[in-house]
Amino acid sequence: MDLGLYGIYACLFLGLYFEVFLFISFFEKVPPVKNSTHPKRYPGVSIIVPCFNEEKTLAGTVESLLAMEYPKDKLEILIVDDGSKDNTRHIGEGLAKTHPQVQFFSKENGGKWTALNFGIPLSHGELVGCLDADSFVAQDALLEVVKKFEDSPKADAMVPAMKVLGPKNLLELMQSAEYTFGIFVKKTFDNLAAISVLPGPFSIYRRGVFDKIGLFKHAHNTEDMEMAFRMHANHLHIENAHTAVVYTKVPNTLRKLLKQRTRWSQGFLQNSSDYSHLYFNPKFGDFGVLVLPFGLALFLGALYSTGYLLYRVLSTLITKGLDVWASGVFVWPTMSLEHLSWFYLNTSMLTFLIIITVGMTFIAILIGRKIAGAHFGVGTLLSYFMLYGFIAPLWLARAAWGTLWSKETVWDSSHK
Amino acid sequence: MALQKYILVFIITAAIFATAFYVATRLDSRRLADIRATQESVSIDILSSETQFALLGNLDCKTISENPILSTELNSLASRLSVAEENLGATNAEVIRLKKQYSLLQIKDYILMQQVSQKCNLKPVFVLYFYSNQGNCSECGPAGDVLTYLRTQYPGLRVYSFDYNLDLSAVRTLISLRGLQGQLPALVINDRPPVYGFKTFEEIQTLIPELKTLSTTTAATSTKQR
Repeated sequence: MDLGLYGIYACLFLGLYFEVFLFISFFEKVPPVKNSTHPKRYPGVSIIVPCFNEEKTLAGTVESLLAMEYPKDKLEILIVDDGSKDNTRHIGEGLAKTHPQVQFFSKENGGKWTALNFGIPLSHGELVGCLDADSFVAQDALLEVVKKFEDSPKADAMVPAMKVLGPKNLLELMQSAEYTFGIFVKKTFDNLAAISVLPGPFSIYRRGVFDKIGLFKHAHNTEDMEMAFRMHANHLHIENAHTAVVYTKVPNTLRKLLKQRTRWSQGFLQNSSDYSHLYFNPKFGDFGVLVLPFGLALFLGALYSTGYLLYRVLSTLITKGLDVWASGVFVWPTMSLEHLSWFYLNTSMLTFLIIITVGMTFIAILIGRKIAGAHFGVGTLLSYFMLYGFIAPLWLARAAWGTLWSKETVWDSSHK
Repeated sequence: MALQKYILVFIITAAIFATAFYVATRLDSRRLADIRATQESVSIDILSSETQFALLGNLDCKTISENPILSTELNSLASRLSVAEENLGATNAEVIRLKKQYSLLQIKDYILMQQVSQKCNLKPVFVLYFYSNQGNCSECGPAGDVLTYLRTQYPGLRVYSFDYNLDLSAVRTLISLRGLQGQLPALVINDRPPVYGFKTFEEIQTLIPELKTLSTTTAATSTKQR
């Protein structure tokens, strides 16, 4: 057996180990179904909407917040324009004029984290949240978050279940399945007290978090990830309100997707370096021992597997090409009815392990779909399984390259 | 964080790996059994033809020339042996044993077809192709491709391929009888002296002028290296 294949088996072992761990952890505490109860108390909530050139979606985002089932006097919305160059300011000011719950602020461009830090001291809510200006909340999202905070007095921050808004093309469908897989993963990480990111769309914090550990940081353009790392480092608790749904727009072109994911992946590597003391440290529970090391190992494993696959494909093509060049003839692979027999099926151990790994991912997506009440068809699943494995290594490689050469990622207009 | 859970997950993952290994091994065993069964069937067919030949001193020449069952079966066998070799590796003891049996069947078919040709006054073209897959024959790959291509152009051609390094006395005897000197790849066309080294399609066409007389409807054995 060629030596490189041992590396593939090692990657598969890690991948399977991680998946088995997730499944066991998920079933240890199956998430309850949504109920129609109301919170005993309605705490004041401030939602900060940082925006930069979001003229197309800002109004919709704010209107979804205004439409939430929550007492109007308990909810304030702070739009912070981070120096937009389009019509965002005009739209924001209009919303503030027509809705007393909405306040509009404008500042010089400095990045999403500066917009959040601008808004937090101006807010008054007991709970402070953030909503990217291209995301839209379900009507009961805040109620569900507040109920979850009520049930979990220890929780310092809450993340919602994220779904893709109106996926249309193949890339969006692929991300829709990926986000649904994320719903399963997030719920499992919740059971493990190891949620690794507080996403921009509708993560809600107790105000005390900022008093204890400070405001957002630049953090390699991944302030939401760094905040989660910092909370774990300070033994604060992040939980998941899987019944609180938020819809978000996702990149619809490969270029935009690569840009966004390179930033996320590079952010993970750079934040990992900044918080390396959390790695393999049992003081930080499963976050330090499982989630961080496996996140890094799977990152490297995916790069290795892609490299190995490329090497095998290229070496086969080159060998075949040299043979054709040397022999002067091209022999087409023969195919007959006999080749349809089971005998010719690839039934190697590697094939079975890949089928099991993909099968478990498939089941996880179905679970994610069930717990968050998501709806999608076969096309979405096919897009995910056909495309993700080919596209993800591109951003992983770019992120690894950027980290090695200390290149800073750049913001796109969506801030996400 | 519970250490027991980490250990339990390790055991489950290892069990999944072990199960995958077990199922793959079982299926490989079934493949080998399938090859053994096919070899047995070919062996019986050859033995039957030989016995018929011995009893009657002749065969139904028309049937033999129009119904090349043995060649088809040998082809199928060759293809299956290639799959088994890819899955289990060329050094697997069972694969080597089956390869030896396959080589014997080829030799028996070769002898029988020579006898049939004599009795039935046929003029087939036999090519014995000797190769090595131990990494010391860079020209064997292209040579095999040319022979495979040749067969697609001249299906009446009967090509028998042998691993030069196979530790089988019958193959060693064939090598000795044909006067091979160890240089590879080597071709023995009918009863002529061996030809060494890679030959292009055009060069082989020149080496075998009888190709022009060959029928284009009969199958022949594969030249894939096994």
